[in-house]
Amino acid sequence: MDPSHIRNFSIIAHIDHGKSTLADRLLEHTGALSQREMMEQVLDSMDLERERGITIKAHAVRLLHKSSKDGQIYQLNLIDTPGHVDFTYEVSRSLQACEGALLVVDASQGVEAQTLANTYLALGQNLEIIPVINKIDLPAADPERIREQIETLVGLDASEAVLCSAKQGIGIPEILEQIVARVPPPAGDPEAPLRALIFDSWFDPYKGVIILMRVVDGRMKLGQKIKLWSNGKIFEVEGLGYQSPKPIPNTELSAGEVGFVYANIKTISDALIGDTITDAATPAAEMLPGFEPIKPMVFAGLYSVESSEHGLLRDALEKLRLNDSAFNFEPENSVALGFGFRCGFLGLLHLEIVQERLEREFNIDLITTAPGVRYEITLRGGDVIEVDNPSRWPDPAAIEVINEPIIDATVITREEYIGDILALLEEKRGKQKKFDYIGGSRVLLGYELPLNEIVLDFYDRLKSASRGYASLDYHLAGHRASPMVKLDVLVAGEPVDALSIIVHRDVAFERGKALIERLRKLIPRQMFEVALQAAIGSKIIARETIAAIRKNVLAKCYGGDISRKRKLLEKQKEGKRRMKRVGRVEIPQEAFLAVLKVNQSSDDD
Amino acid sequence: MPGVYLSFPFCAQKCTYCNFASGVFPRELEGRYHMALRQELEQAAWPWTPETVYLGGGTPSQIANEDLRELLTRIPGRPWAEATLEAAPGSFSREQVSAWREAGINRVSLGVQSFVEIELRKTGRKHTAEIVAADVALLREEGIPNINLDLIAGLAAQTPASWETSLDWIERLAPPHASVYMLEVDEDSRLGLEILNNGPKYGAQDIPDDDAIANMYERAVERLTAMGLPRYEVSNFGQPSLHNLKYWRLEEYLGFGADAHSNAAGQRWQNPETALAYVEQGPSRQQATPADPGSERFFVGLRLSEGIQPQPSEWTRWAEPIERFLADGLLERDGDRLRLSPRGVLLSNDVLQEFL
Repeated sequence: MDPSHIRNFSIIAHIDHGKSTLADRLLEHTGALSQREMMEQVLDSMDLERERGITIKAHAVRLLHKSSKDGQIYQLNLIDTPGHVDFTYEVSRSLQACEGALLVVDASQGVEAQTLANTYLALGQNLEIIPVINKIDLPAADPERIREQIETLVGLDASEAVLCSAKQGIGIPEILEQIVARVPPPAGDPEAPLRALIFDSWFDPYKGVIILMRVVDGRMKLGQKIKLWSNGKIFEVEGLGYQSPKPIPNTELSAGEVGFVYANIKTISDALIGDTITDAATPAAEMLPGFEPIKPMVFAGLYSVESSEHGLLRDALEKLRLNDSAFNFEPENSVALGFGFRCGFLGLLHLEIVQERLEREFNIDLITTAPGVRYEITLRGGDVIEVDNPSRWPDPAAIEVINEPIIDATVITREEYIGDILALLEEKRGKQKKFDYIGGSRVLLGYELPLNEIVLDFYDRLKSASRGYASLDYHLAGHRASPMVKLDVLVAGEPVDALSIIVHRDVAFERGKALIERLRKLIPRQMFEVALQAAIGSKIIARETIAAIRKNVLAKCYGGDISRKRKLLEKQKEGKRRMKRVGRVEIPQEAFLAVLKVNQSSDDD
Repeated sequence: MPGVYLSFPFCAQKCTYCNFASGVFPRELEGRYHMALRQELEQAAWPWTPETVYLGGGTPSQIANEDLRELLTRIPGRPWAEATLEAAPGSFSREQVSAWREAGINRVSLGVQSFVEIELRKTGRKHTAEIVAADVALLREEGIPNINLDLIAGLAAQTPASWETSLDWIERLAPPHASVYMLEVDEDSRLGLEILNNGPKYGAQDIPDDDAIANMYERAVERLTAMGLPRYEVSNFGQPSLHNLKYWRLEEYLGFGADAHSNAAGQRWQNPETALAYVEQGPSRQQATPADPGSERFFVGLRLSEGIQPQPSEWTRWAEPIERFLADGLLERDGDRLRLSPRGVLLSNDVLQEFL
């Protein structure tokens, strides 16, 4: 199609502000889907996405819209992106594939931190932003206040913001008209050598890797030999087309168009997000800007509860990796848990997703050890090592300096919660950079925080401190030297390596005490007394005792019913089987995550 | 010594702690149930002549005299060495007891549970200590001195002091047999469910903790032994019930009625669980499964204080758990016999589940 009739756009919205419903309405209105075919959240097809109301993978849907202004047909490509802070890089690549974005803001909630971060990303890439104030049908809606907030916070002219209710179908035609009128057509040259931007990819067992991409310059054709820029590998295009939202095959995609391509690519790591596809015979002079290899930021050990399922876990991780090049894993060996894998993730949500998919899709009972970050340690000899696993922590005597990763965090919340949130940020070793009132009794906080403090219970604490009215965004901002120490836990005198964590020296005592208090509640009473100790090196800093269990006995064998008795005993035995035996102590799965919640008050259970 | 179990799952009320398929059902169902039960007894192929009978419930003491006669007449072997009827305190008359005796009943088990009023009220029971005392006297006068009194440790509002009160009453009434059950918390009883859900009903917030219950149990063992009622099974004290011993010694028994269990000719089977299902479907022997004495001997038999005499092959099969529990002091070995230690009794689930 003539590029002047193409508009590529994405939707920026906070979770629950109505992005998926709006996307569904746009599909419905342009006839991409009949009403009969509509299912809630058409675009979020993974079970997990529907349940959590989030988008994990990107999508690109072509809509055909006949403008009521000039009567012409326009090709609108909606590129739906993940909205979570873990996936900032993916979002930035999706935005790079667009010329415009809808900024969807809830008419009563207002702008949230992630929305803001993504809007800045979009502005940074020169996208045309169309403000949309959604959910105007709700009683608490206050569109004028939100309009003002968008203007002060984002610096955009919001006078033309569309007032919309995706749920009721209000404002949908106007959004489509504004997209046609305001989003610039793509600028690429169809006659130049091929350059296409990869903004997502996944593995299909029949077709191999399927790439979602935006053709920036030139054309991509069936049978064409293409080259992936970052690794130089050459493949032949076996199929291409676009989603509408069902996949529609095509023979060619040209500059400005968005679609999918597959080329018998066997591994997902060959099709990296942000990479450039070019023609193998006549390659472009330069790759598209912005490509970065993805670096995991959060690390945790994954173990199968049943040691016999270790092989299954490895297969499952390999299968997941086929679809997700952002996470990596390598074998590790824990004295307490046996053979497992040290995995790197983009963030905590990413970790949770992988964990849930392993349990759900592969039916593996998992133990996840406390997430941690990667430290840069300079040793006395001058060598610099990277350590993301407490069990590889060097001897303190050999350490010259430890650098921990630092993030710049933005929190947007309501005034009334500010006291608790400041206290939390303080406790998490934060340094205040910004404290701004942004209208409507809302406050924007800028903080420098150690990433290590975020991966332990930060989200949950922030949520409870603000009753859910705080949003968070962050990005990596370098390293800073910090006196970190390794905190060990001993159960019945045996160190349990999987429970070790790295903490700041000044909070070690307090965390150690809180951790074993929590473990005392999570580890069921055993047939003998169990001592719990927290230690730094050989120094015990806290101790708790789990008293021996006194009674575990069934009353009757009523009327000779031994089958009931057998069932009850089997149930108990099964419960024990699901625990991990460390020495002679049965430790339940939850205990290994207790480290996460060490700061919560001890009366919460 | 083979025996017969008759199930009568009808009650005047459903107690809060009850986790059986017993309860309050329409009168009309009770009539149909009697007919079904009689029919099942008539059609029984007796592989042996029963020596013991046990009428459990539910509340068999509410069976009309005529109905009871009709049932027991259909069981061969009268007079039996032991024929027990379970009775709710305060629910029967002198005439009834005399009819029981004439029908062949020679042992009565009274579901007392507690002698302390506040505890009884929270379970939904309506009797008092005095009513139990009168019942015991009545049974003795009518020629049934072989009496069991049941107690439950772990009831709402129970305290170490109130527990002593109940034990005092046992001492005063001096039955030849007593049972002490520790409250079972599971979703099958109203109270259990309430405790699991941390709810307020039935005194669920007022239940003694596990350690307190263990203390009560140990105190009961001590006092009952001093009264001449030594423990012979985890929950049973005094002169052993010939019928109940069969369960633990893997001897044969046939069960009749709803949810009745049978063990005969190397097979185990059970009837439909509810009274309604039993009346409608009749007894079912289809689901018979082979008995597994090599495992049952342990997880059932070890409940007896006399312990068990494992076969040579069983010593080998279970060598690992046996060694472990001997080392932990939960099992004791005496020649070729094996039994739970006093501590092992209280932790018997941890031991028994290793022999499944």
